[in-house]
Amino acid sequence: MDWKADKFSSVEQVMDGMKAAHYICDSQVATTIYLAGNLEKPVLVEGPAGVGKTELAKVIAEYLEVPLIRIQCYEGLDESKALYEWKYGKQLLYTQLLKDKLDTIMNTQDKLADSIEKLHQYDDIFFSPHFLEPRPLLKALEQPDGVVLLIDEIDKADEEFEAFLLEVLSDFQVSIPEIGTIKAVRKPLVFLTSNNARELSEALKRRCLHLYIPYPSAALESEVIKTRIPQIGEKLRKQLVAFIQAVRTLDIRKPPSISETIDWARVLLLMHAESLNRELVGKTLNVILKHEEDIRVAEEKLISLTAEALKADEGMTGE
Amino acid sequence: MEGVLGDFITVLRKAGVRVSISESLDAVSAAQIMGYDNRRLFKEALAASLAKSHAEENIFDSCFESFFSFNFFQSPKKANTHNPEAYPEALKDQLSALVLKDDKGQLAALMTEAGRMANISSIKNPMQKSLFTMKILNQMGMPGMEAMVGQIKSSTGSGLSQQTAELLEKGRDDLVQTVKEYVEQQLQLNADGLDSKDQFLKTTPLSQIELRHFHRMDGLIQRLIRQLEDRHSRRLKTANRGKLDYKKTLRKSISYGGFLFAPLWKKKKENRPDVIVICDISRSVLQTVRFLMLFIYGLNKRIGKIHTFIFYSNMIDASYIFDRYSIEEALSKITSDPSLPIIRGKSDYNTMFTNFRDHHLHLSTKNTTVVILGDARNNFNPPRAEVLKAIGERCKRLIWLNPETKPFWGTGDSEIKTYAPYCHLLQECNTLVHLERVVGTLLSARR
Repeated sequence: MDWKADKFSSVEQVMDGMKAAHYICDSQVATTIYLAGNLEKPVLVEGPAGVGKTELAKVIAEYLEVPLIRIQCYEGLDESKALYEWKYGKQLLYTQLLKDKLDTIMNTQDKLADSIEKLHQYDDIFFSPHFLEPRPLLKALEQPDGVVLLIDEIDKADEEFEAFLLEVLSDFQVSIPEIGTIKAVRKPLVFLTSNNARELSEALKRRCLHLYIPYPSAALESEVIKTRIPQIGEKLRKQLVAFIQAVRTLDIRKPPSISETIDWARVLLLMHAESLNRELVGKTLNVILKHEEDIRVAEEKLISLTAEALKADEGMTGE
Repeated sequence: MEGVLGDFITVLRKAGVRVSISESLDAVSAAQIMGYDNRRLFKEALAASLAKSHAEENIFDSCFESFFSFNFFQSPKKANTHNPEAYPEALKDQLSALVLKDDKGQLAALMTEAGRMANISSIKNPMQKSLFTMKILNQMGMPGMEAMVGQIKSSTGSGLSQQTAELLEKGRDDLVQTVKEYVEQQLQLNADGLDSKDQFLKTTPLSQIELRHFHRMDGLIQRLIRQLEDRHSRRLKTANRGKLDYKKTLRKSISYGGFLFAPLWKKKKENRPDVIVICDISRSVLQTVRFLMLFIYGLNKRIGKIHTFIFYSNMIDASYIFDRYSIEEALSKITSDPSLPIIRGKSDYNTMFTNFRDHHLHLSTKNTTVVILGDARNNFNPPRAEVLKAIGERCKRLIWLNPETKPFWGTGDSEIKTYAPYCHLLQECNTLVHLERVVGTLLSARR
């Protein structure tokens, strides 16, 4: 099958496909994915934590009906963990098992030089693809049906690793000194996500399409809640979204993102809430705010925030 | 249209977005895939391939809005009251035909193309506006249209031809107005080029940089910091490939039954210098202090420990201020916080040196670089160069940065020439270029 014709024929198609997988997004996201599919370029996704960057890759894998291969980046991640490693144990075991065999081969030769000559004919045996342990990157290149490759939180990895990725991202190939260059059987769709813990290099950015996912607008957020948690009542949903939107404007360390909103909606559902009130919000504030100071800031303004949220709902229904 | 896209990319570059050749190629193919008919999709496609950070996206937004907006697109479509077939003569002229058909998209394309032919992106000066307007109108075929109007008018006028002439005249006025606006907008996009301004800022004496440029200056410093960081982190990468470590390799081989499977290498030590900065914060030096501190604290990943001392008539340890507050706040604190125990009288290098030697010299190790920033104007106090010598012997390097230009060194109460023999490096430092060079040598601290 051909992705370009089947799955990336228009922006609307991509958007509908994602909606079917319960991922609601604005058209910038869909456009970028559509372009990535058509240009066969990696996508660098940035944005605050919890706006659905990783989720996006998962959803696209689901949409394309291909497996998702994920590399979680961290400081100290290197080629042997991301690309390939030699199976040392297997190499060792085989040399032991084949010891006798090797002996016979060697013993037929008289001179040392001849033995070495003989050995040279076999030396690549132990550094052949049989002894190669493929790690995520190599696996992604070897998949015959294509794959979605997610390189998560690339900003957490070292700069060296970033530089090492460049070959994969631009040519979809990797070089293994002992074997040679391995090209992708089928170009994977690559997503890189970043929280901006550090600036990424120009070289990396240049090779990718860029997508910034901000906090969602009220309408979009409401839509997301509706899709993810359909059981929740419309009244509560509107109040909840209005409240979260108001909290984001406060001066706090970590504004709640969409994943927190979803969690909160689940909690409220569990508590059989019909509508927001001050007491309820006060009790569940720790679901959306993860810092002690943030909770304190929000608690101070709790009365006005709740009142605003309730009003927002009335305003909407009144229209 | 590729040409127009090229112009747009030039505008983006001027606005501070870094667009490489490969990215512009991406933009072109993205635009081809997307087509030009849906403005929103077109914009999103360009944004994905050209703007590579959130900040750049904002710049992109404003540039796109002003570059690709014509009144043509916005003016409401009038109901086409007349039939353009009615006066076939008028359709022979391309421009007149377009005006009569009210084909705004085509007209806009024609205008941008004409703008490109007239080299509109070179416009620098408001005086050039009318010239460029004329050029573009001519390029679009205005003379032909004028002639057409005249021809229709002079022809024995049936009602229909008169109506056509009127429509054409109105269309012409609209067109002239639109082209004028287009030129105006191009002037704004192109005249305020950042490239030249950045270069200008880099070489302007730091003490003369005005407050309104600080924002851009900080951006510039951030970029220089990135460059420095890149350059020096490359060096660290090769540090992993040292000599073979026999001991470790043999020990490791035990677990493999004596086979030398995994060679291990000696690691070179990461070379991160500790820095002690001693700043004169008298008015003449303050501005330079600000930018030096931005640099040093921006590079804290490549620098081990940073100690900061500030002095005026006396010296205090200001490290805690920089540790506790953001760099901006810290800088404003050391310049104007009245609660700091610093006497803002006459700068006194003598007291500063003695105080540092007696109380803080233990901070200095063999990996420490001491940076002194000051004009060495000691207000005729004894210079006490021997104390400076003692400090210099204790640390790895002693760098003196003097914000005064060289001809002033040693004049009046300046003691810089007395101090010079005891510094490992003495540099004039009053522009960003100087600063960058100094910080660069600071990082590559091999002596």
